[in-house]
Amino acid sequence: MPEHSKQSAALHRRDVLKAGSGLAASALVPAALTTTRAEAATSSTLVIAAPATPQSLDSNFDVSLGTFEAVAALYDNLLEFKKIPDPKVPGASREDIADHPNLPAGLAIQGKLAQSFELDPAGRFIRFQLRPGVKSNWGNELTADDVKWTWDRKFGLKAIGGFYLSTLGLEKPEGVKVEGKYTVSINLDHPNPLLAKLQPNLYAPIYDSKKCKEVATADDPWARKFIENNSAGFGPYRLEQLQRGQQAVFKARQDYYLGKPAMETVIFREVPTSATRAALLQGGAVDIAQYLQPLEIVRLRQQPGVKIDSVDASFMIWMELNAKVAPFDNVKVRQAMNFAFPQEQVLKTVFQGLAQPLHGCMPNIYAGYTDKFWKYNYDPAMAKSLLKEAGFPSGFKTSLAYNAGDPVQEPIAILYQTALRQIGVELELKKVPAATFYNAVSERKQPMIFYVDSPWCPDVGYSMTLYFNSQSFIDYSNYKNDEVDKLLRDTARTADQAARLEMMTKAQEIVMSEAPWVFIAFPGYHFAHRANLQGFTYYTANNIRFQDFSRAA
Amino acid sequence: MSTAVASRGPAGVGAADPAGSRWLRRLRFFAAVLRQRPTFAIGYAIVAVVIVTALLAPWIVPYGPMVADPTVYLLPPGRGHLLGTDGTGMDILSRVLYAPRVDLAIAGIGTLVSASIGSCIGAIVGYYEGQRSWRRAVSASVMRSADVLQAFPVFVFAIALVAVFGQSVRSIVVAIAFVNAPIYLRLMRTQVLSIRRLRYVEAAYVAGASDLSILARHVIPNAMAPVLAQLSVNIGWAVLLTAGLSFVGAGVVAPTPEWGSMIAMGFQNVVTGQWWPSVFPGIALGVTVFGFALVGASVEVLADPVRRRILSGSLG
Repeated sequence: MPEHSKQSAALHRRDVLKAGSGLAASALVPAALTTTRAEAATSSTLVIAAPATPQSLDSNFDVSLGTFEAVAALYDNLLEFKKIPDPKVPGASREDIADHPNLPAGLAIQGKLAQSFELDPAGRFIRFQLRPGVKSNWGNELTADDVKWTWDRKFGLKAIGGFYLSTLGLEKPEGVKVEGKYTVSINLDHPNPLLAKLQPNLYAPIYDSKKCKEVATADDPWARKFIENNSAGFGPYRLEQLQRGQQAVFKARQDYYLGKPAMETVIFREVPTSATRAALLQGGAVDIAQYLQPLEIVRLRQQPGVKIDSVDASFMIWMELNAKVAPFDNVKVRQAMNFAFPQEQVLKTVFQGLAQPLHGCMPNIYAGYTDKFWKYNYDPAMAKSLLKEAGFPSGFKTSLAYNAGDPVQEPIAILYQTALRQIGVELELKKVPAATFYNAVSERKQPMIFYVDSPWCPDVGYSMTLYFNSQSFIDYSNYKNDEVDKLLRDTARTADQAARLEMMTKAQEIVMSEAPWVFIAFPGYHFAHRANLQGFTYYTANNIRFQDFSRAA
Repeated sequence: MSTAVASRGPAGVGAADPAGSRWLRRLRFFAAVLRQRPTFAIGYAIVAVVIVTALLAPWIVPYGPMVADPTVYLLPPGRGHLLGTDGTGMDILSRVLYAPRVDLAIAGIGTLVSASIGSCIGAIVGYYEGQRSWRRAVSASVMRSADVLQAFPVFVFAIALVAVFGQSVRSIVVAIAFVNAPIYLRLMRTQVLSIRRLRYVEAAYVAGASDLSILARHVIPNAMAPVLAQLSVNIGWAVLLTAGLSFVGAGVVAPTPEWGSMIAMGFQNVVTGQWWPSVFPGIALGVTVFGFALVGASVEVLADPVRRRILSGSLG
């Protein structure tokens, strides 16, 4: 057979196979989705294939994937970061989270529901002047009472809201003061550098208190049941329909104070398998396919009509080394585990070159990050030597738990298992169902367990405190170092950014040296969409906001 | 069958060595059956190849079945790796050849355990059924319990059992044994119900033999034929169940070479064009289950005196 004939035959076979795969994938999705090709092509309808619909719409309790997008569509915050063009992806934008010493609060931050704000340079109070005439999806006007009720709800319900209260050091409801119909302030007993920075946080939205009070009952004074299934916010969309496990539909609000979004209808469909989401995007049945696997992203890049925007992101993936479980209570063992990790090969194979190496212990897109303390390039000889020094010349046996719902974790674990055999460490792999994985992480009993996370507040002190303060509820590696704890405490109590950066550099040096994690990667954020969709903006919460999108003519 | 075959066997051999002659006659009859029904021959050949592969795997695989080599990840089938490599660079041929060690071991042990337990309980239940005593109540309650067990969808039930006992090979064996035991219980009970009234059983009873002795010496040995026929069908089915459990993440722990687990690890790659990590183990699984099904079909024919007589007649 002539060479060109062979090629065409091979291509033909491949095409047939791909078509078959696509067909099989299509068969896996609800029949209703096959009707969305027309919807996706409609200029004002946005169709999204997501791994899950929102479990709840209450940001005080739910952190499921679909909830992030829903909260961002239904609610607005008092402040937001200004947007800048993404330096790597033409046409994409991102939040300007850099330090700007010449700007108020040292941040490129601006009003949203608040038309202006005043921040105490010492970080003891912040005063907001609200935008008059802003209406909720129930037609109620935004007032200072709504801000006050929103913070009171955090005090009343604790949970995630309680975390924000403790992060700010806001100890009493009286700290939030209504100073006029449109004026409200937050007042702290101690200076806090995050007072302004936390306001744009996805999970710090403002509720329509009038509506919430209407639906509240004696048993449910904070309208939990209502907010779980409905919205009472000042955001650009209202909820039209929520069928958990199937789809959520959002409608643009005509009376949104910043103007009606271009996408009038957003259909947020649950498609659990990433391969199916990719096939639907390729076929034009959806505009956006979320959370695809690296290989799918690489393949989709070659497809006409599909575009992948890959931006630097706050996501990190690592393995917790439980400092309270032998032998990981020994620093030398933890260091050895890092020297034995084939990071470069994992990035090349599992992440298909789409990720960056995790050479630090916080997001590399945040001010204050440094990789100068990185020393764990793959070196099995060094790992073996460290194990010998630690008293394990023949290695040891341990286990690594991974999330069955995250397809990258299993191959990483297998590559690591093979690599560890070279230094005598026998690694047993434990597959944990996605539904119970977070419990396994938060119990902090596994010797080693994967974790993927991103600190949403773009701050060095916030990021480091989350993972390395021994009092933090997500210090899942049980890491404890008194000096690091003191540095984190001091960083949280001063607004002097230069001093904070100095302290956090020291903290990063200690943490990197003591290696409470096996450092894996910054996976990045890869936004897969139809080429005619424009307006993608990256947020540190790693979610999309429907109001950003429009369709190219 | 023995009469018909004996009449065609060489009389001289039988006279010199009756036992050897009997085996030789059986072997010839078996060979004739395989010639008459080539699908049975294919089944036996497949099962034989799978078993031999499982036994010889450590010596014939080109690479370690659990050695990940990221420098050769997702290589298509070719010279270095005949069936290609998976997403972590593990050789698929080596893993496909190694997998029956796990699959057959789990399926075989699980099926044997279920057959042993199910048959024993079935024999006791069948033996005492209909008697006026507390034993009758126990028999009835055992049968109703079996009804309840069999009312559950087998796969869902197996997943639930693995979830309860934890993810391990032992749990899968327990799950297989548990879901299959009622099948053997019913088979054995039915057989015992018809055998217990036969004269030789009554004679043993009159001679003063205990119930346990009658069951062990006279009833169970004569009721085993359908149980044995069911075994090979069940092993194939148990291989499929093992693979199914691994596919949904409730089976063996990665990266243990096991067909279902391999399919699960590779199926996402099919859409991106890398079909080989899941297709080859899928083919191996399919062929093996097919082989056991054919063997099961042949045992079913050979164990049934009527069908065996018809087959003997057709062999001429």
